[in-house]
Amino acid sequence: MSIYLDNSATTKPLPEVARLVYETLSGDETFGNPGSLHRLGVLAEKDLNDSLDKISKLLSCKKEELYFTSCGSESVNTSILGYMHQNPRAGKKVISTRTEHKASLESLEKLAKEGYEICYIPVKSDGKPDLDALSDAIDENTALLTFTHVNNETGSILPLQEIIEIRNKKNRNTKIHLDCVQSLGKLPISLSRMGIDMASFSGHKIHALKGFGLLYIKSGVRVAPLILGGGQQRGMRSGTQSPYLASAFALALEKALEDIDGNLLRMTGLRDRFSADLIDLGAQILSPADALPYVLNVSFPSFQSETMLHCLEEKEIFVSTVSACSSKTKKVSYVLTEMGIRREIASNAVRFSFSRFNTKEELDQTVKSIKEIYERYKV
Amino acid sequence: MSKSYRTIILARMGEIALKGLNRGKFERQLIDNLRWRLKEYGAFSIVQSQSRIWIEPKDTNPDILEDKETANQVLRAVTQVFGLVSASLVWKFDGDMDSIKEHALMLTDDILSEHDYKTFKVESKRGDKRFPLASPEICADVGEAILIAHPELSVDVHEPDFIIYVEVRENRFVYSEKLEGHRGLPVGTAGKGMLLLSGGIDSPVAGYMMASRGMQLEAIYFHSYPYTSERALEKVKDLAKIVSQYSGTILLHVCNFTDIQLDLYKNSPQDMLTITMRRVMFEIAEELANKQGCKCLITGESLGQVASQTIEAIQITNEVVKTMPVFRPLIGVDKEETCNISRRIGAFETSILPYEDCCTVFVAKHPKTHPQKKHIIEAEEKLDIPALVKQGVEGITTYKIERTSK
Repeated sequence: MSIYLDNSATTKPLPEVARLVYETLSGDETFGNPGSLHRLGVLAEKDLNDSLDKISKLLSCKKEELYFTSCGSESVNTSILGYMHQNPRAGKKVISTRTEHKASLESLEKLAKEGYEICYIPVKSDGKPDLDALSDAIDENTALLTFTHVNNETGSILPLQEIIEIRNKKNRNTKIHLDCVQSLGKLPISLSRMGIDMASFSGHKIHALKGFGLLYIKSGVRVAPLILGGGQQRGMRSGTQSPYLASAFALALEKALEDIDGNLLRMTGLRDRFSADLIDLGAQILSPADALPYVLNVSFPSFQSETMLHCLEEKEIFVSTVSACSSKTKKVSYVLTEMGIRREIASNAVRFSFSRFNTKEELDQTVKSIKEIYERYKV
Repeated sequence: MSKSYRTIILARMGEIALKGLNRGKFERQLIDNLRWRLKEYGAFSIVQSQSRIWIEPKDTNPDILEDKETANQVLRAVTQVFGLVSASLVWKFDGDMDSIKEHALMLTDDILSEHDYKTFKVESKRGDKRFPLASPEICADVGEAILIAHPELSVDVHEPDFIIYVEVRENRFVYSEKLEGHRGLPVGTAGKGMLLLSGGIDSPVAGYMMASRGMQLEAIYFHSYPYTSERALEKVKDLAKIVSQYSGTILLHVCNFTDIQLDLYKNSPQDMLTITMRRVMFEIAEELANKQGCKCLITGESLGQVASQTIEAIQITNEVVKTMPVFRPLIGVDKEETCNISRRIGAFETSILPYEDCCTVFVAKHPKTHPQKKHIIEAEEKLDIPALVKQGVEGITTYKIERTSK
């Protein structure tokens, strides 16, 4: 049996999800276009509405505040570009960090080319943004803050509460977009109480399906749509909605939240044990101590990232690396270097990312395999 | 509406025409290779006449060349067969001078619909001496007809934008463009060689160059998973596939090199590692070559390019090969030129894909660039070379790579 420890990249869809999708797609009356006037359309629309109801309850927001998109990146792009384009008088400045996901960074680069001022505040060695720098940076002209709730490479958790307080103190009109792709289903998210204005989510990271994203826009916040067309979803996101992807997401989200605290606690225990074992083997943990336990970034001395990845792959253990190996230029994770981690260490970094389904046995087996890898391949 | 002509291909032989008594062998091989190369497009009649080869679809697929896109694909395939200087799509038809003019005009219209040409000339050959007009008269008549239909064109006999060729034989032919061939000699006329193929730019080009001299290819790749990824292997297979468009089927031997490399790493000095590694690789390749009936090794080495390609380093690796020559067609070729050939044969984009390898861990920071005999004796003291070579030869998996393989 293989051991899948790359859940930040994607997750295996739940069997319930697979069943639901199969049943929906093979039914004679369940494949309709929610925009059609006939019965099939009405059924599809009802299905879609049921999912919206369920998701909005699970995330504590109004269903009018949610939009279905095609992926996390689309939600992020829409939030950042759409908000800035729609609100020219809110200011020309956006504050973020250089450790965001590329979906954010590329959107910000686009804004910079259009003449917006992008202010990247530094992150500290624990991956958290420097809050003093943030406080200094927010001014009258600051329209938007965009941050990642949980960093996809290190699991570093954003100090959201402090950031909201700083925002409230410095400029109440500044909006906040939160990239929740990695935190959904792992940290409690209650949109109406978090003090944020926009948030992005993805389906396939929570055991639902690829091709589905979710976008939250708080009532009253105006955002220009990215995709134009038939005016679906109140003109905010045109294109025929997919009821089966939405219900798959609703179902997966419900399952993820069932015992979110218990899972977090259990995963913290597993992660602590796992990292202690790896440290015993001489590895260096790059994730901060207070990171989300579902992500563990580890540097293995004398193993380049990709070599370790393939060594583990040979033992049917799947992990991830952002440092690609090439004899000429070595690409090293920008997230790690921004945190001040030396290139030699970052170029040996491997990311283990867990799901609530990973077991102690799997992690023990992984440690055992790494021991064997050290014996056989260490040079 | 059926066309008044059939499209066929005219290919022109190069160097072969200069051959003496054995010319027939080269010609037969070339025709065999053409037939093999065009197999996927259907059956063709391939007839040689003097230094030219006429390629005509058989009745089982008469219209294959009437679709322009397919015709161009087939034409390109023809030019990829070594031994040809150029090839053209030719219209074949019957009739008198009026028919010739009519087809020359159609061809001109066809050319002008795609190009913004201003000048032209007509050239003609009359093989059928019963035809009432001589070549110069045919040229004049056809030229006049084109000028009447296209007053915006003018004749330029020295540097025309396009040329209309007219040939009068048993049938009539008109054509214009010539697509350059890859020249060389037909694969299969110069024995078989074992190419040391890596994922880089040079070795596929070296293989292509030797194939252009008529050599059939097999290849060996040294795989060091998990230090090199499966993708690197896929890339090498892709490169072999690209070379096989020209060389024909390649047997790709993948040697599992991981343990050998680890052994070398642990038991020989750092600064000699590249040399000891290459010596073992050469020995494995030579043994395999003998087993497979290959009569030489082929590498992509170029003098001075990297530490292992100095004259001393080449001598030290070369000396382990005792039973056959090692051909290095790129030895005096500039990197830029190698890249140009790589682009021309369509390998460059694949060669520069990033998953080169993680073998950098095995590369010394300061390798010896001018190794001497005593260095290698010292370096191999603790190594059981024959055992390593045996291990390498036994750990080979062979793939049959064809240009059409998935």
